[in-house]
Amino acid sequence: MTAPRVRLSGIVRRFGTVTALDGASLELRAGEVHGVLGENGAGKTTLLNILGGMLTPDAGTVEIDGEPVVMSTPRDAWRHGVGMVHQHFKLVAQLSVLENLSLGMRSAGGGLRLPFERVRRGVADLEDRTGLRLALDARVSALSVGERQRVEIVKALLREPGVLVLDEPTAVLTPDEVDALFHLLAGLAAEGRAVALVAHKLDEVMAVSDRYTVLRSGRTVLTGVRGEVDGSELVAAMVGKAPKREDSSEVAGHGGGDSTDIVARLKAVSVRTDRGWAVRDASLEVRRGEIVGIAGVEGNGQRELALVLAGRLDPDEGRAVLPGGIGFVPQDRTTEGLIADFDMTENVGLALHDRWPTAASADRGAGRWLMPWAEARARAEDVRRRFEVMAPSVRTRAGALSGGNQQRLVVGREFAMATDLLVAENPTRGLDIAATRFVRARLQAPPTPAPGIVLISSDLDEVLALADRIFVMVRGRLVPVPERSRTREAVGALMLSGGA
Amino acid sequence: MRVGRGPFGVALGAVAVTVAIAAASLALGGYDPADAAGAMARGSVGSLQVFFSVTLVRAVPLILTGLAVAIAFRAGVWNIGAEGQLYAGAIAAVWVGLNVGGWPAALAVPAVLGAAAIGGALWALLPALMRVRLGVGEVITTILMNFVGLHLASYVVRGPLQEARGVFPQTDGVAEAARLGVMVPGTRLHWGFAVTMVVAVGLSFTLRKTRAGFRIRAVGASPTAARVAGRIDSKRVWTGAFLSSGAIAGLAGGVEITGVTYALYEGLSPGWGYTAIAVALLAGLSPLGVLATGALFGALEGGASAMQREAGVPSTWVGFVQALVILSVIALDRVRRAGAGLKASIGDVPMGEVGTGGDRV
Repeated sequence: MTAPRVRLSGIVRRFGTVTALDGASLELRAGEVHGVLGENGAGKTTLLNILGGMLTPDAGTVEIDGEPVVMSTPRDAWRHGVGMVHQHFKLVAQLSVLENLSLGMRSAGGGLRLPFERVRRGVADLEDRTGLRLALDARVSALSVGERQRVEIVKALLREPGVLVLDEPTAVLTPDEVDALFHLLAGLAAEGRAVALVAHKLDEVMAVSDRYTVLRSGRTVLTGVRGEVDGSELVAAMVGKAPKREDSSEVAGHGGGDSTDIVARLKAVSVRTDRGWAVRDASLEVRRGEIVGIAGVEGNGQRELALVLAGRLDPDEGRAVLPGGIGFVPQDRTTEGLIADFDMTENVGLALHDRWPTAASADRGAGRWLMPWAEARARAEDVRRRFEVMAPSVRTRAGALSGGNQQRLVVGREFAMATDLLVAENPTRGLDIAATRFVRARLQAPPTPAPGIVLISSDLDEVLALADRIFVMVRGRLVPVPERSRTREAVGALMLSGGA
Repeated sequence: MRVGRGPFGVALGAVAVTVAIAAASLALGGYDPADAAGAMARGSVGSLQVFFSVTLVRAVPLILTGLAVAIAFRAGVWNIGAEGQLYAGAIAAVWVGLNVGGWPAALAVPAVLGAAAIGGALWALLPALMRVRLGVGEVITTILMNFVGLHLASYVVRGPLQEARGVFPQTDGVAEAARLGVMVPGTRLHWGFAVTMVVAVGLSFTLRKTRAGFRIRAVGASPTAARVAGRIDSKRVWTGAFLSSGAIAGLAGGVEITGVTYALYEGLSPGWGYTAIAVALLAGLSPLGVLATGALFGALEGGASAMQREAGVPSTWVGFVQALVILSVIALDRVRRAGAGLKASIGDVPMGEVGTGGDRV
């Protein structure tokens, strides 16, 4: 048998006192799509970063085509034919998409000029093969998270790598785009490449992967071939205890929405950005106790609509009537929801600095000028306990928390603020199974009196599972989905066409 | 550019590296490093008298301008204009100080120092408005305003406020009532040092305990998170921090006039507003740290004079030493942050946190 394309064995990697990888292994064969699974903090990203040359292992060996190699920079990895699509974007926001794609690419005739023409041709070719569309001349800073991810994927594919590594590529794509991407990945594998893929959604990984590797606590606990391992075994390996299948049918709409107590109302709201009208003539009423789901492909105006609902953006036209107690879970928790250099208490303080201390808190004397630190600390403790944030104390820096724990901190803080209205943008994006289940359960069983909840998600299944009423956002228009059209297919079609 | 907490370890390391390089360069220049060091020590911390009269007196304007820079930088406002704001404050202080003749000191001193603070804040107003209204970077506008302030002072001391004799380009002395008395009897340390301490402690308290200070830290750490998660209007915070910074720098000019020179003349400041940037960065932008680093730079300046007198080393050499200090601070701070970043990360470490790779591509 020939050597596998890639073999990582006995990989150990520590960050300070934390051991992220503790003897993990991974084998990628030419011609396969390989799913890498594991909970948050299992070491998936660290392992892939080692393969991509972003990190060097403290121990263990990396072999490519049977030859031991040392890859200490991404450039080394490229040289060995390993291309990587990152979970955290590595794009220059001030440059255009075309310029970003051209960076680091060699011109055909050498020389110093960026190979714009070659990149344009390559992108056109990719668009034909994959259906991934890009606005080449747009500035990256003007793109949504989902659009940036597409740029990252194209950037890696342009170099036609022999080994392609994708860390969470599907989280922000529409179902159709996911299908197209998987089709592409299968095609790339069929051409003899090895493709490694991390995705949180188990069914996605299972749909596309030929083989699986499951990591838990920095170790490889299971490898398997499609058809030989079923979903519950994979979940069991990931969480390390008896599996409980996550089934979207177990979390149907929670039967709210009977109340007539309206907590927020948008009247013919329009929002203009420098790229034109992002939201057109959107009207919406949110009642106490209901979950309004808004589905849509990234970049169709949900972002702006969410900011308006959360009171962070004034509409250019129309009127937004909003309550006092608004909680907002923004989509990009690391840059918008938290300050990495602040500890948990200070991050809770972000929500309290312009609020009077509540009567019950110890901060009555804080008054108008002083920060209500005692209340912030108490609330941070509360979030840490009730939302099970894994942190030694509330003095832990937010930047030192894992992605899932950062999200718990944001969700916990904003739940406490949301006495009237909660606006949640992709609240489970990037979370592992346990954390996703946890956040969804919280959304369905909010505190009393229950706020109205607006759930804006590019995860169609999530919207279908949780929402009492569903809207679709298409090209800035807010389109209601009739009850009889509450199916994956019908809503998916609406997301693309707008029902027009 | 961001500077973290824990300034004292960094400062000690910077001092060690600086001393080593400085000693070597002195030896190369043909001076006796031990001799020079002895003169430096005697001239800065040799006795209580010297420490109070030289080091601390020189430290006062450095600390105040250092605080001005620190509060601006904490908000993400890159105010390089403390020098110009100091001159604006000095001009305002002299103007008021010349006109408070019959007043009691209890009114005259606050009036003069208040005028200095307002003058400094006004000098910062134009760059502040240009930033928040027009999006013009404040680094350039504040540097340019420094030249305007410097030359405005030159004009004032030759024109409208020139001394009655009309001989030298300087003003008359401010009214007796507007002069700060001696704080430590038998030394030249004036009450301006107490003002400085109050400002430093007040700023430290503001940043840690007040809502406004929290907003400054939040906007400085992440304008995006401050806006989205904190509903904070960054422009208002920037403007407030900018004007406060200008006011404190202006106060430095006023304190120098009322405590040391009593008059305004050309070249009042030997570049305090620029040295202040090093003072603030070395302190990790911590107001209490600025007290220590300002005193360190005051000692360097006092020691440099003594070195020139006693060991024959040119005083320009101190500029070289100060540059060394700044360079070592930047290098050591970088090293310290890299180490801390690795230790602080728990679990799935996002690449941005570790800081590897991205820089290297």
